[in-house]
Amino acid sequence: MKIDFIGRTKIWAAVSGAVIIISVVALVAIGLNFSVEFTGGTSLDIKFKQRPPIKKVRDTLGKFGLQKSIIQPVGSSNMLIRFRQPGLTQKKALAQQEKVQNTIKKSFKVIDINAEQVGPEWGALITNAALLALFLSLAGILIYISLRFEFKMAVSAIAALFHDIAITIGIYALVGREVSPATVAAILTITGYSLYDTIVVFHKIVENSKTIQKDTYANMANRSINQVLMRSINTSLTTTLPVIAVLVFGGETLKDFAFALLIGLITGAYSSIFVAPEILTIWKETEPRYANLKRKYAQGQALGTRL
Amino acid sequence: MSNKQKYFYSLLAVAALIAASIYGFINNRPGLGLDLRGGLSVVLTAKESKGVRITQKAMDQAILIMQERVNKLGVSEPTIEQQGSRNIIVQLPGIKDAEQALDVIGQRALLEFRIVQKKYEGQSPEQMNFEISKKKKVLEKTLLTGKVIDSATATFSSGQDQLSSAPIVEFTLTPEGTDKFAKITKENINKRLAIVLDGRIITAPNIKSEIPDGKGVIEGIESIDEARRIALVMQTGNLPFALDISQHQQVGPTLGKDSLNAALMAGIIGVALVAVFMLGYYRIFGVVTWFTLAVFGCILAGLYVLINLILVQLGSAGFSLSLPSIAAIIFVFGSAADSSIIVYERIKEEIKGGRSIRSAMDVGFAHGFRTFVDADLVAFLTAAILFYFGVGPVKGFALVIMLGIVADLTTSFLFTRSIIGLLASYDVIKSTALFGLRREATPE
Repeated sequence: MKIDFIGRTKIWAAVSGAVIIISVVALVAIGLNFSVEFTGGTSLDIKFKQRPPIKKVRDTLGKFGLQKSIIQPVGSSNMLIRFRQPGLTQKKALAQQEKVQNTIKKSFKVIDINAEQVGPEWGALITNAALLALFLSLAGILIYISLRFEFKMAVSAIAALFHDIAITIGIYALVGREVSPATVAAILTITGYSLYDTIVVFHKIVENSKTIQKDTYANMANRSINQVLMRSINTSLTTTLPVIAVLVFGGETLKDFAFALLIGLITGAYSSIFVAPEILTIWKETEPRYANLKRKYAQGQALGTRL
Repeated sequence: MSNKQKYFYSLLAVAALIAASIYGFINNRPGLGLDLRGGLSVVLTAKESKGVRITQKAMDQAILIMQERVNKLGVSEPTIEQQGSRNIIVQLPGIKDAEQALDVIGQRALLEFRIVQKKYEGQSPEQMNFEISKKKKVLEKTLLTGKVIDSATATFSSGQDQLSSAPIVEFTLTPEGTDKFAKITKENINKRLAIVLDGRIITAPNIKSEIPDGKGVIEGIESIDEARRIALVMQTGNLPFALDISQHQQVGPTLGKDSLNAALMAGIIGVALVAVFMLGYYRIFGVVTWFTLAVFGCILAGLYVLINLILVQLGSAGFSLSLPSIAAIIFVFGSAADSSIIVYERIKEEIKGGRSIRSAMDVGFAHGFRTFVDADLVAFLTAAILFYFGVGPVKGFALVIMLGIVADLTTSFLFTRSIIGLLASYDVIKSTALFGLRREATPE
């Protein structure tokens, strides 16, 4: 069984292009749902003995002018409340949070409360750190792959990575899932792992390009992808299985990690087969050696069909 | 040395590593993070004002102030650490009254000079603080605040000989402070002047004579460390920046436990799924993977303990297991199986290419290893960068990813390679069906 991946580059390009356009539109139209760590604000995770209706909790919060809080039921007995207190100084915000907590404790049967409060400047600090980390990661990857393989492979891999990141952001916008520092950490980690499969494919291409001299680059790359296909599918599967387990059984924080990791792993697996080698092939076939081979091969095909 | 011998020695090394890891782990169990056992975590950020640079010295002062405050709270095992150039992270596990703690931690540092009331003159600062905690009026009203201090340094008095040389603190006052201080010292000779930080007396020297020129000395200090502490405290009135609580997190003990249970459950199920898949798809190699994962787990635990021991030696608090690090642990188990898959698929490919089972196993590892070393190094690179720039729990996540990669490479090189090599050299596997490759599929 052999699948023609490279020959259908246009189809994959159309698919990826469409998904990226949807992602960009979603990002612009809907935007991302940033957690309190980025926006500043307060988040309360409350475990109730018996969870009250959301409306009742909202009414209680209304006493503090916080009726617009985001209130979500979590699991079987928990509730997540998030609100921002613009215009309050840090001290007053803290005092208000404590009052809210005490009122909730008095009004309902509460087992436990987790509270988190973040000042507005914290978000800018961690966003800058994350962007710097991403930039340095990309630079590091570019240099490493250029040295170990070649520059064109490095650029193709990075292009595939941008493809993955764009789609991941798009999915976050569409689904409306909260973007927390955990999410960002997971996505940054995935930038490394999403290249795992790509590097496996490139390794094979390098190996084959040494032994297969007579064939076009496209055919050689396609054979390489097919040779490592099962490997890519299975490695993606074993990395994904635990992540899915966490997504199903883990608590809220863990689910944040798992969701980001899952999206990253899926897009990473896709781009290692359908994006990175295709970009590489198009680029490599502009080199005189492979352009010649391609021309000769095309002539041969044409002759062959005529005969 | 023959290959067989090499493999046996490798396995011996693995056994030693496992034993060391288990021993290390049992004796140095990593602590649980606040998000798992409950408590209060506060991030304080130094806020820059115009024309003021945040220096490391000022940060050291800020940390000292925090230590004084946390001591006042009476929490066991608090950690106070600087992170980055501007953040201080204060962690108070198991604290009951988070509100009070936040109030105490979040206040502005206040350094005051106050005269000790006659009734308490004979007491030590510790006794005085004890009386203050009982709401007794120990001190007269505030005479000066820390703003009048220009500098304070710990040094030794220049006595005639070694024996009479004792630790002292020399301090100088600002021009505005000099006159006020001269007046105060003149009027209060032979009384005790308490230096008070955030309501706690740090030291209370006796005023021996008037200090007219703005240059004073505190004597009778027990050690040079104590002198250094007093000097630092005296300058805190000049802390050139405000410390704001930029983030705080309270975790209740029950919710922490819930998270831990959910995480353990998810981890066990996740690893079990991988184990079942590997058995179903790779048969005998799948069983090898079970052992590989077990070895990997031990080495990972060992590395984690080792890193923590080194960090503690270096004076840091080390890492406690938080939810993000558990997420990373579960994740690296999945990616540890990746390396095995790359090797097994490579072996299958060699067999399809016409090699015998035995020689395929011989070359399969070498080829596969080269592939995943590259893949692993790229993943390591990104994790290392994340570790460097990450804040708080994200650091723990990145650390586990890095350790996971090191453990994976170690396990693959010492364990997987040897097992495959030994299986090959003893010709144990006679049929490709044993590792899930159907005969008719060979060769292509």
